[in-house]
Amino acid sequence: MRTFLRILSAESLKMSKSHLWLVTIVSPLIAMFAGFLQEQMPPEGMDPWPNLVASMSFVHGMFFLPIMAGLFSAFICRYEHTGGGWKQLLVLPVSRTAVYLAKFTVVMTLLALCQLFLLICMLFVSWSLAISYPIPWSMISISIIGGWIACMPLAALQLGVSLGWASFAAPLALNVSLTIPNMLILNSDKIGPFYPWAQPLLAMLPHGQMDFGAFNIPLESLTITILGSFTLFFTAGLVYFRRKEI
Amino acid sequence: MSEIIIQTENLTKKYRGRAAVNNLNLQISQGDIYGFLGPNGAGKTTTIRMLLGLIQPTEGSIRIFGRELHKDKLEILRRIGSLVEYPSYYGHLSAIDNLEAIRRILGTQKSRIDEVLEIVSLSKEARRPVKGFSLGMKQRLGIAASLLGNPELLILDEPTNGLDPSGIQEIRELIKSLPGQHGITVLISSHLLGEIEQMANTVGIISEGEMVFQDTIQNLLLQSQHDMDLVVSEPESALWLARDLGFGATGTLRAGALTFPGMQDPEVALLVKRLVENGHEIYRIEQKKKSLEDIFMRVIGEGKTG
Repeated sequence: MRTFLRILSAESLKMSKSHLWLVTIVSPLIAMFAGFLQEQMPPEGMDPWPNLVASMSFVHGMFFLPIMAGLFSAFICRYEHTGGGWKQLLVLPVSRTAVYLAKFTVVMTLLALCQLFLLICMLFVSWSLAISYPIPWSMISISIIGGWIACMPLAALQLGVSLGWASFAAPLALNVSLTIPNMLILNSDKIGPFYPWAQPLLAMLPHGQMDFGAFNIPLESLTITILGSFTLFFTAGLVYFRRKEI
Repeated sequence: MSEIIIQTENLTKKYRGRAAVNNLNLQISQGDIYGFLGPNGAGKTTTIRMLLGLIQPTEGSIRIFGRELHKDKLEILRRIGSLVEYPSYYGHLSAIDNLEAIRRILGTQKSRIDEVLEIVSLSKEARRPVKGFSLGMKQRLGIAASLLGNPELLILDEPTNGLDPSGIQEIRELIKSLPGQHGITVLISSHLLGEIEQMANTVGIISEGEMVFQDTIQNLLLQSQHDMDLVVSEPESALWLARDLGFGATGTLRAGALTFPGMQDPEVALLVKRLVENGHEIYRIEQKKKSLEDIFMRVIGEGKTG
């Protein structure tokens, strides 16, 4: 545990001087425009919040969040891949499990930061539009936190792939090509619930907002997909990294 | 005999059935500067990667500080500083921050960063981003990083690779000072004998994954047989005479001079006496010293055939 915290502290030093965190602002800003440009505001007397959360989550959850999970994973392994940094890191008295966990924690922290910015943007939009309804905290936090948790399997897989491939672009290409089909897969109530890349959006949409395709799946079945794929990807990545020849 | 720091037994690493390192028995005592020599691709880096736990041996055991590496890896690594092949950095960070990232993992004192920068004389450049460093500066920073945890054993893989002569000189002086000043044991690999000769007291020579020589550098020099050249008035009959005495088997006649490899003093005396008795005129007797490179090549050659 102590070595884990030490590695985490070293990782945060490496990240602190890079400008990667700026990427976490981009998607929430785009979502903010989506929030302002909603096609139609609900008629007077209806709660505008579900609509707002849904429209701001849509592009973010469908594309940017899954893509960022891969981008951050690839990025935090890049320093080690350029110029044999793995050797320098792993000849230190650290267990590979601790290194793996620390890297995963950094990715998840960056994604949490991104979700936090999204929350701020949501509140800003509601304030600008002068929405008089009380802020539905439970709906928003399920959306924000749910989306974050749904990223865990993707981050685990991408971390595993990024650890394995020295190339920066290859893991990204894999991630993007698995994320793009979301557009089609989300329309299917058969594949959608089981496709890990579709989960961030499914978890982020307030329930009952859309009633076609995979959008009406109960939260429990999403949890099973997320938990199952996370366990699989995380274990595979860890086992691979522990055995990897550096 | 002082304490043994590194000992490997039948260390073997195979890639797809081909042995990159084969039955290697490495033995390094405390306070040694051990020169690990071999041509490129002989298995030096593979051996070092196994010593540092970066790859698993196919067979054999590694004991460092008297403990099994695969059992007490983290405790052992804590006492080792190393530089494997090209040193690596986070280019966007300064030298200080690069060392700080490592220091946070090692948990040593913050003041140690200034100390190691001082040792490798990088204190003035410490705040610049490392991506602007020259190769020599990067190499020195790599050595600074390896010293950060106050190691008892330093493992340096080709630390002078890519350096200019003055950089090599600088690193060499630094490495030579380590055992005396800090009691550190050093394992340093190289493909250049001349470089090791000036630092190491013990050498191990590896060729095609097998250890072909391991002893003190003095014994490497002693073991090298010197050729004795004789220039005489009638070389051909002189060679027959030498063969009658039993020295001729390896003697050769080259450009009017007789060459006898590895001839000892009494044998020289006897041969000269007989030649004079038989009316030969001796113009010159000279000992031809072999350079270390010759020895190196010879030892490697023997390893291949034997």
